[in-house]
Amino acid sequence: MADIKHDSLRYARKHVRFGWWTLLIFLTLGLVLEILHGFKLRMYLDVSSETRRLMWTLAHAHGALLSLVHILFGLCLRAMPELGTANLSLASSSLVGASLLLPGGFFLGGIVFYSGDPGLGIALVPVGAAMLGIGVYVMSRATAGLRMTQESGDRKQKK
Amino acid sequence: MTVVTESSDQRLRGAPIVAVLLASAALGLAAVTNYPATTTEVDVANRPIQLPEDGFVSSLACKACHPAEYETWYGSFHRTMTQVATTATVLASFDNVTVPDVPGQPMQLERRGDEFWAEFDDPGWEGSERSRPRITRQVVMITGSHHQQIYWYATGHDRGLNVLPGVFLLDDQRWVSRSAVVLHPPDQSVAMFNGHWNAICIACHTTSPKTKFDTPFRAEPFDRQSVDTTTAEFGIACEACHGPGGEHVQVNRNPIRRYLSYLRDGSDSTIVQPALLDPQRSSQVCGQCHSVWEFYGPEDERVANAEGFPYRPGDELTDTRFVAQPMPNLNDATIQEFVEHDPEFVRGSFWGDGMVRVTGREYNGLIDSPCFRDATDPEQTLSCFSCHTMHKTADDPRPIDAWAETHQVSSTRDGDDACLQCHEATASDLGAHTNHPVDSTGSRCYNCHMPYTSYGLLKAARSHTISSPSVAETVDVNRPNACNLCHLDKTLAWTGDALNEWYGIPLRALDEDESSVAASLLWILRGDAGLRALTAWHLGWEPAQGASGTSWMVPHLAELMNDPYEAVRYIAYRSLRSLPGYQGFDYDYLAAQPERVDRVLPVLQAWRASTLSRQRREPELLVETDGTLRADLMRRLFDLRDNRRLFLRE
Repeated sequence: MADIKHDSLRYARKHVRFGWWTLLIFLTLGLVLEILHGFKLRMYLDVSSETRRLMWTLAHAHGALLSLVHILFGLCLRAMPELGTANLSLASSSLVGASLLLPGGFFLGGIVFYSGDPGLGIALVPVGAAMLGIGVYVMSRATAGLRMTQESGDRKQKK
Repeated sequence: MTVVTESSDQRLRGAPIVAVLLASAALGLAAVTNYPATTTEVDVANRPIQLPEDGFVSSLACKACHPAEYETWYGSFHRTMTQVATTATVLASFDNVTVPDVPGQPMQLERRGDEFWAEFDDPGWEGSERSRPRITRQVVMITGSHHQQIYWYATGHDRGLNVLPGVFLLDDQRWVSRSAVVLHPPDQSVAMFNGHWNAICIACHTTSPKTKFDTPFRAEPFDRQSVDTTTAEFGIACEACHGPGGEHVQVNRNPIRRYLSYLRDGSDSTIVQPALLDPQRSSQVCGQCHSVWEFYGPEDERVANAEGFPYRPGDELTDTRFVAQPMPNLNDATIQEFVEHDPEFVRGSFWGDGMVRVTGREYNGLIDSPCFRDATDPEQTLSCFSCHTMHKTADDPRPIDAWAETHQVSSTRDGDDACLQCHEATASDLGAHTNHPVDSTGSRCYNCHMPYTSYGLLKAARSHTISSPSVAETVDVNRPNACNLCHLDKTLAWTGDALNEWYGIPLRALDEDESSVAASLLWILRGDAGLRALTAWHLGWEPAQGASGTSWMVPHLAELMNDPYEAVRYIAYRSLRSLPGYQGFDYDYLAAQPERVDRVLPVLQAWRASTLSRQRREPELLVETDGTLRADLMRRLFDLRDNRRLFLRE
């Protein structure tokens, strides 16, 4: 139990740290996009750049939201160390991978693109999405265990 | 710590299975679903409908993957060539408007909710004029959105349309009669018939049209014909130039195919890319409409009527259409056959030497240009795409509407660069070639080699036959030459001397008038109505005003403002308003002659009394040194006017 708690806290620190730093990066990206809007830069706002605008907006949104997921992940581990029964190593690396590949794929897809189709970087997105799915699945299983654990504890107390 | 129970774990194992099933279902759906026809109007009964078939899918199918191309096309006048009449597309007021300037009784317009209705004299009445009945019809479709709007009403018989007697001029925000917007003999009505749009206009104002008359147009009374006109899309849409897109849409739903195509060279055999065709074939894509063409025979017309036009972008145009080009084939049996059937066939569209003289037929001009006709290297062959872009390019800084307004000329091709991309030697010393200051309008390639010698839409337009100015073209075929279209105050002799000195062009024998009277004044006094219209327009053209001065122009514009042809009067009035001091001058080019004279006479008198009349006392401008007009000479020249009836078929 002590090892599980130790692991949980170690991953919690890692993901809270990772989450805040990536949040800073992706909010900065948002600021850059605002500047592109503000100065009406054609490489971003032209009708012919619609795909780029969409891709970079998606990169910003996914990156920022995934940063929050990391922070939340860390806070959950800290608040509920028993979540450490899950394969934290797999969940952690999946979430980190998703945070790199999802927004990264969108961003790269907007650098060079083909009319309505994003560039080849977009191929990273489904891989990132799969990693996010794995991470979420692993933690979902862990939270299911947590619920049952709590229920069985409650029953014991009543007896 | 309690171990998770087996039963709850089993329940939760279902979640990923559900997720995988959902994803599989989405993929499966994408694989089997056919792209639906996006524009169907089968419930509409009183007008032609948009019905994409035969592989056509409409522009909406193109939008998703080609948003930038769609957006620039959407902002073009090609799209709005034909539109359904709605509150968004009708640009004229219909709110209880009375239009007096139409034949017969005034036309009465009204709105009924979102519908547009008009009451007017029945154009199809064949009885006496006195008993011509009034009819009330719903306006259902529109042609144009740039200079004017022509409105089409539902005849009440099948999908047949006919045209309102009034046209709305957008610049002037004014209703005028249909005859007042085309250059045609003043005593001749502009005939239009029930079903005219269905049979004639549809060919070039829509995408993949099918006229679908059960018997040839006007072979029998309209009411006895069945008319089930359809088209893939109104206006000139994506598939007019790229061909039917059904297969392209279908196969490119596969992302692997798309990306393999991008990684190769982006080409795709399932769609035609006009810019990648050779210069001849790519220009024919435009030439399918921008040319004077006819069917080879009744059988071709019958097939087009029933099954649609067989030409597809990338095909050889002349396989299915006869492109009339009198310059090389004036004595061709086919041309002669058309002339026999329609004596004005050539004169209404071409100058005497076969150069096209009306707008909208630029392909005829292109194929007679040496840069196209004589070129051997495809890389250095003139084509429509040498100057025009059908989609505004990403490096074009202009807004879409500005790009559309300039006839979709590329931002890098609206100056000398268009020519100098091939004529590099000229670029190195432009002044030596033009003999004009390099930064002047006289050194602009277009002004000398593509002068405004075509007419249409109440203005002059650039010739699309690349040519060099000569006095001979004016003397032999009465086409104004580029030099005198700018130097309006100079004689043909002056031009001949300059061309002889600069370029060694042999001097041309000229008569006394050609040697002593400014060419523009000869065109005004002796020329046909088309020549007068072009001259009137050039009197208002800023470069010509700069080169020729304007003080002498007023009496001659005043003369043109009393021309028998309405179009000439309209253009002359616009040019007069461009002169200093006349911006606010009010005049109605459609008023009766006495009223027009009453308006114009004071202008003439005021000019005579002003200092303007004393600035250019030059005999070649028909002003004596004492300031009086050379009335006898003007009268004599006027008696020599080419008064042959002229209907320019723009």
